Amino acid sequence: MSEHDVLIIGAGLAGMRAALSAKENGVDVAIVSKVHPVRSHSNAAQGGINAALTDRGDDWKDHAFDTIKGSDYLGDQDAIEVMCREAGDEIIQMEHMGVIFNRDESGNLGTRAFGGQRQARTFFVADFTGQALLHVLFEQIIKSDVRVYEEWFALSLIIEEGKCCGAVLMDIASGVIEVVKAKSVILATGGLGRVFEPSTNALICTGDGIAMAYKAGAALMDMEMVQYHPTTLAGSGVLISEGARGEGAHLLNSEGERFMERYAPNMMELASRDVVSRSEQQEIDAGRGVNGTVFLDCRHLGEQIIKERLTQIAEIARDFANVDIYSEPIPIRPGMHYQMGGVKTDVNGLTTVPGLYAAGEAACVSVHGGNRLGANSLLDTLVFGRRSGEHASDFSKNISHTEISGKYAELETNRIQNFLSNDVSAGLFGSMRQDMGSIMNKHLAVYRDKKGMEEALKQIKSLKEDYFKIGVHDKSKTFNTNLLFTLELGGMIDCAEAICISALEREESRGAHTRTDFPDRDDENWLKHILVKQTSEGPITEEAPVKITNWEPQIRSY
Amino acid sequence: MKYAFYPGCVAQGACPELYVATLEICSILGIELDTEVMKGASCTGSGILQEKNERLGDTLNARTFAMAENSGMPMMTICSTCQGVMSQANSRLNEDSDYLKQVNEDISPEGLTYSGTADPRHLLWILLEDIGIDKIKSLVKVPLDGMKIAPFYGCYIVRPSKVLGFDDHPDRQQALEELISAVGAEVVDFPGKTLCCGFPITTINETASMKMVARHTTDAQQLGADAMVTPCPLCHLNLDGFQPKAAQMNAVEINMPILHLPQMIGLALGVDPKILRINKHIMSTKKLLSKVTLTP
Amino acid sequence: MPLPITLNVKRFNPDSDQDSYIQEYQLDVAESDTVLDSLIHIREEIDGTLTFRCSCRSAICGSCAMRIDGKAGLACNTKISDLVSGDKKSITVEPAGNMPVIKDLVVEFEVFWKKIRQVSPWLKHFAMPPKGEHIVPNENMLHLAGVMNCIMCGACVSDCTSLEVNSEFIGPAALAKSYRFLADPRDEANENRLIELSQPGGIWDCTRCMQCVEVCPKEVDPMGRIMSSKEMAIEMGITANTGARHANVFASSVHHSGWLDELKLPVLTHGIFNFKEMFKLAFLGLRAFKVGKVPPVIHKKRPNVTKIRQIFEKVGHK
Repeated sequence: MSEHDVLIIGAGLAGMRAALSAKENGVDVAIVSKVHPVRSHSNAAQGGINAALTDRGDDWKDHAFDTIKGSDYLGDQDAIEVMCREAGDEIIQMEHMGVIFNRDESGNLGTRAFGGQRQARTFFVADFTGQALLHVLFEQIIKSDVRVYEEWFALSLIIEEGKCCGAVLMDIASGVIEVVKAKSVILATGGLGRVFEPSTNALICTGDGIAMAYKAGAALMDMEMVQYHPTTLAGSGVLISEGARGEGAHLLNSEGERFMERYAPNMMELASRDVVSRSEQQEIDAGRGVNGTVFLDCRHLGEQIIKERLTQIAEIARDFANVDIYSEPIPIRPGMHYQMGGVKTDVNGLTTVPGLYAAGEAACVSVHGGNRLGANSLLDTLVFGRRSGEHASDFSKNISHTEISGKYAELETNRIQNFLSNDVSAGLFGSMRQDMGSIMNKHLAVYRDKKGMEEALKQIKSLKEDYFKIGVHDKSKTFNTNLLFTLELGGMIDCAEAICISALEREESRGAHTRTDFPDRDDENWLKHILVKQTSEGPITEEAPVKITNWEPQIRSY
Repeated sequence: MKYAFYPGCVAQGACPELYVATLEICSILGIELDTEVMKGASCTGSGILQEKNERLGDTLNARTFAMAENSGMPMMTICSTCQGVMSQANSRLNEDSDYLKQVNEDISPEGLTYSGTADPRHLLWILLEDIGIDKIKSLVKVPLDGMKIAPFYGCYIVRPSKVLGFDDHPDRQQALEELISAVGAEVVDFPGKTLCCGFPITTINETASMKMVARHTTDAQQLGADAMVTPCPLCHLNLDGFQPKAAQMNAVEINMPILHLPQMIGLALGVDPKILRINKHIMSTKKLLSKVTLTP
Repeated sequence: MPLPITLNVKRFNPDSDQDSYIQEYQLDVAESDTVLDSLIHIREEIDGTLTFRCSCRSAICGSCAMRIDGKAGLACNTKISDLVSGDKKSITVEPAGNMPVIKDLVVEFEVFWKKIRQVSPWLKHFAMPPKGEHIVPNENMLHLAGVMNCIMCGACVSDCTSLEVNSEFIGPAALAKSYRFLADPRDEANENRLIELSQPGGIWDCTRCMQCVEVCPKEVDPMGRIMSSKEMAIEMGITANTGARHANVFASSVHHSGWLDELKLPVLTHGIFNFKEMFKLAFLGLRAFKVGKVPPVIHKKRPNVTKIRQIFEKVGHK
C-alpha cells in the first residue's frame, strides 16, 4: 500500500500550488489527477488575476471591499482579507517562477480593468492568463520532482476514526484499483460545471471532489451560488473572456443600444457578473435579443489592442462562432460558468472533517460569497492552494498513518463490477447526463422560483435511482472511459441534489441566486451561509454565520 | 511572356541536367527565359544561411526581389527549396512595413529598393497556371503510357501553406499529379509524397536521412512506381545520389530512378533523353526508358 | 441541413484485438459540427467503447490531438464541413503519430513528456530575485506569448518527419519550449542550454520540413523557434558540431562568391582531416564523376559579388 504525507487530488492551479508549498515544507507529497496536469481546466481562465500591489499606491483593503461588495456581502470577510492581503506576494512569486505577465512602459507588471474592481488591478498574460500560470506551475512541479499519479481517478475518500486518512484510486490506463494511505488529503478537483448543460466548463469538471467530500460527511456550503457568466457562445457554451470588456468592449442589444446604461450606469459592462447576466437575460426576455443572444462588440477596440491582448478571443470567435471580431459583434448570452459554493473550509483550507482539506473552486472559504468577481478565482486558487499545502503538511508532521483495512478497495471493486454487469441495453450515461444538465439549466439558472426548483429536485432524485442501472458498453480494463464517465455521473447527481436543496432553502435573492418569488435581499433573515450535509437519513441543511470584520452590508449597486 | 530565370545554385552545380532540361522544355512550350538578368543575384540561403542569420537571408532575398522588380519580368525558379525560402522571406518582408524599411536601407547602397511586388514562382506552378494542362497535353508527342510515376514535392514547396499561395491557387497542391497525368503516365499516389527527403540533415545525421530516402523510395517501389519525379534538385540529390547509400544502410534493395520535373515533361514532348541528360543520374534510367517508345 | 458523413476511425483495444482496424460510423452531423462533436456523439450515444482524450472543447487544453485525414490537429477545432465537399463524404480519424497507441485514439504521451523534461523546462535564475518583479520590456513578454501559446497537444510531435526516423531527436515541442527560456531575459542559463541543445538529437537534427509549423493549432511556429535557437547558438560561438559548421561554411561560401560552392561545402563542414568522412565523400564523388554529375571545379563568383559582401558586412552581425 503506497503512503504519502499529503495526497492532493487534482492538478490544476490550486492542486499544484498546494503541492509546491507542501514539498517546500519538507513532506512527502503526491498529486493524483484524472488528466495530465496541463489539461486541467485552470487552462481556460483567460482574463487575469487580481492583486493590490502597495508599491503602486493600491490598497488591499480596497480590493477586499470590492470583493465583499461583489459577493453581495455573503463572503466571509476574514477570508477575503487574507486573500487580498496575500495577493501581492503571490503575484510576485509567480513572476519569479517565470510567468510572462504583461508589462507597462517601464517594464513593471501591467494591469487591465476588470468587472467589479474600481481600480485596475488585474494582472494578465494576453488573454490566456490561466494557461500561462498553469504551465509555469507544471514547470515547477517537474523541477521539484513531485510524484504525479497521472491519469488516476480518485474513487472515494477513506475516513477512519472520524479522520480522512487516504483514498481509493483507480489507474485509468490499466483499471487497477489501489488504496493509498495519506496523513492528509487536499481536494483541488475544481468545479462542477458539467452538472449544467450547456456550460463553459470542460468535460472533466464534474465536481468529483465536492461529491467525495459530501459522501465522506464533510459540509458543503453556499451550493446555491452558481455563477452564470455574461459572455458565453450560444450552443457550445464556450467562454468569451471578461478581458474583452476589460479592454473596453461594449454589450449591445438588438437595437444596437448599450443597455447596461439602464442597469448599472456607473460600471456599465464592468459591473459584477450576476448584475450583467441578469441585465442580459432581461433584455433577451423583453424581446431585445436575437435568437436568445445579445452582442459583445469589440470592433472599436482597434487592431493593436486585439492583436496584443485579445488574440485568444479572436481565435475562439473565429473557430467556434464563425465571427471576425474586427468587423462583427459576437452573439453571446449568459452561460453556467463557476461554482461559488463547494466544500466548506476555514482560511487554512481545513474542511469539517479532520485531515481533509480543500482549495480552489472545489472549496468554499468563502471568498466569493454570492458572486465571484472576475480574476479573483485565479487568486483564490493560488493563495488558498498555498495555504492548504502549508497547513496540511504541518498537520501531517505531527501524526502517524492510520491503519486502513482492505475492505475499501473491495467496496470500490464491487461497485465497479456492478456497473460493468448491468444490462447494456439500459442506455449509456450520455442521455442521463444531458437530462440532468437540461433540468439544472432550466430551473437553477439566472432566475429561479420555488416551483421550478422543486421540480428539478424531484427529477434529480428520480435520476439518482435510475443511475445504478446505467449500461456500460465497454467492459475492458484498459483505459475504460465509458466506466470513468459513468462513475463521474454519480458524483454529479449528488452535487445537483445539493444545489437544489440549498437553493430551495434560501428564500431571498442575493448575488447569483435570484428568485422571482423572493426578489429582494433580506439581510435580517438571510445574512448567513447554508450548509448541506449527507447523513444516514439523507441530506440535511444547517446554517453558518457570515464573518463580518470591517464592512457592514450595504445596498449594492453599480 | 518573358520570365527572369533564377536557376538557383544546385542547377548550376551538382545538377546541371536540371538546367539543360529546363531550357529545352521552355523553348518548346513558349516560355521565354531571360537567363542574364538574374545572374548577379545571390543564393537564397537555402534555409541554411537562415540558420545562422535570418535577417541576412531576408536582405539577400530582398535584393534579388528588387532586381526582379527592376527587370519588369516575373521570376521563375526551378527548385522547391529556392521557391520556399523565397516565399517565406517575401512573406516576412510584406507583413511588416517597418521590417521592409529596415531591409531596404541595407540594399539601398546598391541603388536597389524592394517594393514588395515580386512573386517568384516555380516552373511547376507556371506550367499549371500560365501554360495550362490543356496546352501541354496538346504538345505531347510521346505519351508516357505504361509509365507509373510517383510524385515527390519537396517540403519547401508544400509548407507552410499560407505563404505558398494555396488559398488563391489550391491546384498547386496537386500540380505534380496533374502534370504526370497530362503526359500520359499513371500517378502512383503514396503518403510520403509531401514528406521530407532528408537532404537538410544528410551531413548532420546521415543515418536518419538515409532512413527517409529508403522509406520513400521503397514505398513508391512497393506501390509499383517505375520512377519518381521531383521539382527539387536537393531532393533529387538525396533520393538519387544517395540511394545506393540508403539501400546499403537499411539493408534493402532499391532501384528507383528519380526524374527532374522538366525531364519528365521533356520526354513526353519528344526531346531526346540524352539531351535531357537523363543518363547523368546515379540511378540508372535505362529500364525506365525502355518502357516507352521514344521516337515520336 | 444535416450533413451525412462517414467517420472512419482506427480502433484498437489491447484487451481484445491483435491488430488495429478501421471502424466505419455513418452519421448525420450539423453544418457547424467539429470532428470532436461527432466523436463525443458516438461515445455518448452509439458506441461507449470508443476511447479518446478530450476536455475543454475550445482548443486550450490540448487533449484531443489526433490525425484527421492524415494530418495532425485538434479534433475540437476541426470543422467537418471543411473536410467534406463534392464527392468526398468520409473522414479518417487515427491516433497521433510517433507515439505508441494505448487504445483507439489514446496514445502513450510519456514519450512526449520525456522530451519536454529533457530540456530543463523551468526558469533558471541564479541571482537573488528582486524584492518586487523583474523589470522586463513588454516586447519580450509579447514575443514569449507566441511560444507560451503552446498547449502541449503533441500535433507537431505526431507529424515530425525527423522523429519518425530518429527517436533520439528532442522534437519540435520540447525545442520550442526550450526557446521560451532562451528568449526570456530573466533566464540565466542560455549558454548551458545551447550547449546541450547543440548535441546530437538537438536543434541540428531538425530537418526543416515545416510539418510542425503546418499542423500547430496555436501558431507556435516550432521550426521558427528552432531556427532562432540555431542562430543564438552560432552567435554564442557554440560551433563545435557539424550542423553549426555546415551553416558557417555555407554562409562563407555565399559571402565569397555569392552562391554555394558544392565541392567545398561538405569538405569544410567535416574538416579535411576527418579522414572517414573525406573517404566517404571521395567515394560519392567518384560515383558522381562516372555519370558526369560533378559541380564545376572552378567556382565562378557572381558578378557584383562585392555588393553581396557589403550586405554581409552590414547585416552579418544583426
